[in-house]
Amino acid sequence: MSGHDAKYFTTTKKGEIHELKEELNSQYKDKKKDAVKKVIAAMTVGKDVSMLFTDVVNCMQTENLELKKLVYLYLINYAKSHPDLAILAVNTFVKDSQDPNPLIRALAVRTMGCIRVDKITEYLCDPLQRCLKDDDPYVRKTAAVCVAKLHDINAELVEDRGFLEALKDMISDSNPMVVANAVAALAEIQEGSSKTVFEITNHTLFKLLAALNECTEWGQVFILDALSKYKAKDVRDAENIVERITPRLQHANCAVVLSAVKVILLQMELITSTDVVRNLCKKMAPPLVTLLSAEPEIQYVALRNINLIVQRRPGILAHEIKVFFCKYNDPIYVKMEKLEIMIKLASDRNIDQVLLEFKEYATEVDVDFVRKAVRAIGRCAIKLERAAERCINVLLDLIKIKVNYVVQEAIIVIKDIFRRYPNMYESIIATLCESLDTLDEPEAKASMIWIIGEYAERIDNADELLESFLETFPEEPAQVQLQLLTAAVKLFLKKPTEGPQQMIQVVLNNATQETDNPDLRDRAYVYWRLLSTDPEAAKDVVLAEKPTISDDSNNLDPSLLDDLLANIATLASVYHKRADAFVSRARAVAPREEDDEYAEGQDSGSGNSSAPVPEMATTSAPVPSTAAAGKGVPAAAPAPVPVPDLLGDLMGFDGALVPVGPATAATAEPPLPVLLPATSGQGLQISGQLTRREGKVFYNLNFENHTQTPLDKFMIQFNKNTFGIAAGGPLQVPVIQPSGSASTLLPMVLFQNVSEGPPNSVLQVAVKNNQQPVWYFTDKIPLQALFVEDGKMERVAFLETWKSLPDSHEVAKDLPNALITNVDATLEKLATTNLFYIARRVLKDTNQEVLYLSGKVPPSIPFLVELTCKVGYPSVKCAVKTPTPEMAPLFFEAIESLLK
Amino acid sequence: MGIFVSRLLATLFGDKEARILVLGLDNAGKTTILYRLQVGEVVATIPTIGFNVETVQYNNIKFQVWDLGGQTSIRPYWRCYYPNTQAIIYVVDSSDTERMSIAQEEFHAILQEEELKDAIILIYANKQDLPGALDAAAVTEALNLHVIKNRQWSIFKTSAIKGDGLFEGLDWLSNTLKSR
Repeated sequence: MSGHDAKYFTTTKKGEIHELKEELNSQYKDKKKDAVKKVIAAMTVGKDVSMLFTDVVNCMQTENLELKKLVYLYLINYAKSHPDLAILAVNTFVKDSQDPNPLIRALAVRTMGCIRVDKITEYLCDPLQRCLKDDDPYVRKTAAVCVAKLHDINAELVEDRGFLEALKDMISDSNPMVVANAVAALAEIQEGSSKTVFEITNHTLFKLLAALNECTEWGQVFILDALSKYKAKDVRDAENIVERITPRLQHANCAVVLSAVKVILLQMELITSTDVVRNLCKKMAPPLVTLLSAEPEIQYVALRNINLIVQRRPGILAHEIKVFFCKYNDPIYVKMEKLEIMIKLASDRNIDQVLLEFKEYATEVDVDFVRKAVRAIGRCAIKLERAAERCINVLLDLIKIKVNYVVQEAIIVIKDIFRRYPNMYESIIATLCESLDTLDEPEAKASMIWIIGEYAERIDNADELLESFLETFPEEPAQVQLQLLTAAVKLFLKKPTEGPQQMIQVVLNNATQETDNPDLRDRAYVYWRLLSTDPEAAKDVVLAEKPTISDDSNNLDPSLLDDLLANIATLASVYHKRADAFVSRARAVAPREEDDEYAEGQDSGSGNSSAPVPEMATTSAPVPSTAAAGKGVPAAAPAPVPVPDLLGDLMGFDGALVPVGPATAATAEPPLPVLLPATSGQGLQISGQLTRREGKVFYNLNFENHTQTPLDKFMIQFNKNTFGIAAGGPLQVPVIQPSGSASTLLPMVLFQNVSEGPPNSVLQVAVKNNQQPVWYFTDKIPLQALFVEDGKMERVAFLETWKSLPDSHEVAKDLPNALITNVDATLEKLATTNLFYIARRVLKDTNQEVLYLSGKVPPSIPFLVELTCKVGYPSVKCAVKTPTPEMAPLFFEAIESLLK
Repeated sequence: MGIFVSRLLATLFGDKEARILVLGLDNAGKTTILYRLQVGEVVATIPTIGFNVETVQYNNIKFQVWDLGGQTSIRPYWRCYYPNTQAIIYVVDSSDTERMSIAQEEFHAILQEEELKDAIILIYANKQDLPGALDAAAVTEALNLHVIKNRQWSIFKTSAIKGDGLFEGLDWLSNTLKSR
């Protein structure tokens, strides 16, 4: 916003919103634009102007690009607070996505992606689809990112509409920017998805490497990050990739450099030739060094990453230690990281130089930095055996300065040096003892006490020294108390004279009786018991030889290091933590399974759980319910209905609807009943049936065109009916050419337009298309398509329900056409249509089988069923008990058709 | 200076836009009519989820025509557009006899709106090109137009596809608006 627009921020009049509303509805374009600017100004300073939603949206259709941008900005901000009204903007998006100006097309598609309102996402798919295939690369690249955003809102929609495939195709786009954005979008989607969405193949690898050289810097980062996920096939593949990427190391953008380093490091794992590796290491050093001349913030990021790199390949920067020397004006966080790397790079060759530096740092003013410098000296001593003495000399020099915190820190590290090189440098203990009085930090005190105890036999006045600490024993922190206890025991074991004996008594008394610290008390008791039972054994235990330590502080676990190296140039490599430790991706592996459990499956459908699909495709028999239940998927297709065709099933989400070519539908499935014969439909034949698949009701429809003209724009409508069955989405049937046909699975919803009156199975349907009048026909609602998956009852519940219902609710009927030849097979078949077996018995006198079953019809009407029959003989007697006996006729129809 | 002159001219010659709403059930032909009026040709349309707004100049009057989507889900939001409306063009699909009663209900609901009490009403009995389309009298009957009191209204037989009747209606509209 330019300077003179500042005036828009300064209105303080009353009734501002009202005034704005009037101005927004003004006839005059200038006034309108001014008003929108005022609204945006108010929005940016945090005033709530959401009540102007419609008024602002009404300004959306304008030639003026500036105004349009402002309205879009407003929409992004407030669409969430007016999800219903957001639909008013849809048409404008659709129009703008076809605007002749590519800037407007891109703007539209970008804004669409930012509007996270479920209700309108579906409407935005068509414009997005168009923009993905746009002639203008700018529009395409914007659309690619929009797909990733849409995936975040509604992943299934993205998969349904084939946007993922479109993105993958974009990798072969002629424009490198489009390639980069497609890669970025795919990578983003992959992160949030448990399935493999994006995998680099040989072919795409080539495309990516080609695009790498031409796209913008950030595009290069996207591509490099994607390449870092690629596992090279063999050494040659890896060398080839590295060769193509090496020039990126010279890039001015640090992100590109770090990403390139990451890819090279990962591919280097495969490369065996030492020459090549050495060469690569040589090439990586200068760019890494260059990073350290950037701003301190970038230096910090670089240093954190370098920290990881030198842990894996110290060779890269072995000769560059000088660049990590701290400058006096480096910020403290940079200095600290530099120290860390200096320690890692210190070697026998450069230790003198490094020690000089450390000594210098130890005399600076920043306490934390000084302490860290002193520690660094200690860690070098531990790491480099041959330099240990030089390190100790430096430490002694520092102690002589008598700066309190330096001395304390030095004592702490000297303790570690003693542990690393036992019995080598005890001569300095005398010097240490001089500073005894100045110690006031627990860790330093504890360290000093440990030294006194450990070397009690060499310190003549060890008992006196300890004594001086003991005076304040009760007030000391636990850390110091524990050391004092141990040191006193050691002293006693080494010099069992009178002084120490008294001392040990005092300490043990104190530690066992005066303290609340259980650790201290327990340790004291252990020592006490040891000393009183067998002092020799105590000696063996307490004075045993201890293993020497090594410097492994600040070194990461190898597997963690691998992980972090694969994530160089991300936050993970800065934090030195795995991404999942600080990023929560709750939505990622979302509760897909649970979705499947919903018997009705009305909400966000799932159907996509790919597991049962292949089974359906290969076997024409219904899947046994046990197999389905094992996967947490509700029982599969009902037996008498046609076997679902593969495509229809793959796409069996709610709202989604896929026309299926005649070829696919032709797989050995029984023909659907004809509902509208060609003779009465002027050449249009419609056949169809309600079916149940994975807990949802679909209308399986097939249209055949026997006319001379193509038929298109099919629509369907359902009259009120007992179950309120209605279309759950628009009917999507492609143009049907003469003598062609099309099949579709229309998802249905229940209780949409329920008719009054006694229940019946009549379903009146109206279908129209662009060429013909409206056709009406009547279908039957098969009750077996409505039985829900959770209709199984426990025996007890069954009995109780049976008893609780009055006898008037029991209806019985003989079904002369029904036949049961094999009880087990029948039960299995019934179970697939969600009629569940409860119990069976045999009537001895008539030799008849009696089967008890339960089922449930939405909303939740239970059916308790008793089937009586003679196996192998036609006619089955069916008795049913239900709270709504009016539905019994429907039930008989269903059971008769199931038992045919 | 140029801006000043054009503003001056605008005030002198009353360059005022009349705000017109085009309403009606879905698939009545509102969007087709709008663009037939604006660009003079039949454009391919898809269901309007939201609105279209275009300026149509006719008979020296500038009409700011708002074409609102007719889907059931969008109808509740029509009211957002009612303020300051001078005229309503209500479009009826004359061949859709089944939904005539819904069209009637929606129409009378519009008449009840306080904000629209001064708006004049033009009814397009559209889709006259289709077989079985009701004529103007039958649509008048079906929409129960005779009950309208204290308000200027008129009905025209139109075919947006052929372009019949649209401008006759607009003539009536512009004359009526001018005479107010």
